[in-house]
Amino acid sequence: MSEKVYNLEEAATLSPSGEKYIVLQIGPSHPGSGHMRLVVWLDGDIIVKVDPDIGFVHRTSEWLSERREWIKAVPIVERIMLPDTIHANLSYVLAVEKLLGIEPPPRAQYLRSLAAEINRITSHLYGIGIFGIFLGSSTVYMWAFGDREPFLDLMEMLTGARITYSYIIPGGVRWDMPNGFKERAETVLQYMERRLKDYEDIWVKNPVVQARTINVGVMKREDAISLGVVGPNLRASGVYYDTRKHKPYAAYKDLDFEVPVMKNGDAYDRLLIRVEEIKQSIRMIRQILKDIPEGKIIADNIYNQLNPVMKKVYEEKRRVMFPAYMIHLRPPPGEATSMVEAGRGEIFFYIKSTGDKYPYRFRWVTPSFRNLPFFTHVAVGHRLADLPAIYGSIDYFPPEADR
Amino acid sequence: MSEVRKPRDPVTGHIKALAKGFKYLIEPNRMTLDYPAETMKLPPNYRGFFTVDDVKCIGCSMCEMVCPPEAITMVPRIVGSGGKTLPAESAPQDQKAAKRTKRPVVNWGKCIFCYFCVDVCPVDAFRPTGVHDVAFYTDREYRPTYEEYLNPPEDPYKSSKKVVSKADKKRGVSYEPAP
Repeated sequence: MSEKVYNLEEAATLSPSGEKYIVLQIGPSHPGSGHMRLVVWLDGDIIVKVDPDIGFVHRTSEWLSERREWIKAVPIVERIMLPDTIHANLSYVLAVEKLLGIEPPPRAQYLRSLAAEINRITSHLYGIGIFGIFLGSSTVYMWAFGDREPFLDLMEMLTGARITYSYIIPGGVRWDMPNGFKERAETVLQYMERRLKDYEDIWVKNPVVQARTINVGVMKREDAISLGVVGPNLRASGVYYDTRKHKPYAAYKDLDFEVPVMKNGDAYDRLLIRVEEIKQSIRMIRQILKDIPEGKIIADNIYNQLNPVMKKVYEEKRRVMFPAYMIHLRPPPGEATSMVEAGRGEIFFYIKSTGDKYPYRFRWVTPSFRNLPFFTHVAVGHRLADLPAIYGSIDYFPPEADR
Repeated sequence: MSEVRKPRDPVTGHIKALAKGFKYLIEPNRMTLDYPAETMKLPPNYRGFFTVDDVKCIGCSMCEMVCPPEAITMVPRIVGSGGKTLPAESAPQDQKAAKRTKRPVVNWGKCIFCYFCVDVCPVDAFRPTGVHDVAFYTDREYRPTYEEYLNPPEDPYKSSKKVVSKADKKRGVSYEPAP
């Protein structure tokens, strides 16, 4: 880590022939997990300045959602954060439920938490895998992506899809837990616990990984707070903050879990915290499978609007069909916000309704966007070879940041 | 959490990593499917291609209204005149059903398989087929007519070995022949 102070204005004003710093363009064609560009100023191989150029995968999710019926935003928000779709879905639905004044039944709350925790594991495995390939280990990349498979199979069993679940709707969830799910989930969890030991040997405690990540990309506690980073990256810097604990939603207030917190805030801590969170998620899934209450999976005022055919389907297959009310949701005028702890951090939703059939204002802030200061503040002073370690460790997902 | 972070002695660390790698070299943890010689039999609730029951459908357009990507179009179903979309001989005998004149057609190029339409149908007329692995070769095939939509894409790997996935304590996912 270089302590030299650089004059960036000078770098910007120098002519192409007399320039002092090398300007390196990393991207925009998929440098990591999506399209974005890092413009890096280098003095030799010391990073002087990093300018993340984002927006290549901006998909106008807010604009699209403001011009559609309320329920149609569910698949739209999912497509922004593909490794983590349940959390996008959940945060939107929580905000809509606040406007509508619907409270889902306890079983639906548990199913939401269950889906969210399975999704958190797949999201963290995705992050660990991408980190692996950034540091040049194709082994852990293949392993992590392969180990998502049993969990994706579980979600397929629960929701009928592998990535874009569209599982959570205002008032509850769309499908109940099928027969044989509990046994299968338990087998998968046992498998994952055993695999975590393998990961420890080949990746987490590997001296090569430790050499490349310890004391690299240190985000100090005060900086993390003032720059507003979120999620595992914030907790790796020693801040005890988790929306699941501090503003519980779904079934989290009934679940017993710990929030792992590290203190050094370097790339290695950010890797460790993801491994620890997988362990906590496994613990939570076990509790949910044990404690899940019986009962309805959809709120009464939605259930009462189902016609006899739909009620029959619900009793036979435990599948919630939509009453016509679902197409014509018109939440009463007002504003609602919601916060959800997604795999990469906290999603914030702000929705304003004027009582119309479309949302008047649809605004959301995704965790990757709030983790951008890592590029501008943390990478400076490191060697260029450390940049992949920093990028990989923050689990940055460009489509999620661009929305 | 400090005990988690403790750096491992480099010599032991390298040996452990190499030993683990060697173990999986000898005994790989493979969960790959030999596609397309083996293909998955999808679970009953899988959200794949779906068709509509011509007799059950009442032509209410709810599916068209709820479709998030606007992939569903309601087409006229003219009975008895040779039909724009459906020839007379395939019309249902049920006169009551025949009078209802609109039917949904899904543009497969737009469909995102969220199954909102399947769930909003007041008479539960949509029928999932459990088929997923279909490739379209022309743009025209994406946009079926109503008649074509009644016979949704068939499984192109009918003759391949059908397997179902199973959770496995040792390998994560294993496959066994479909029942």
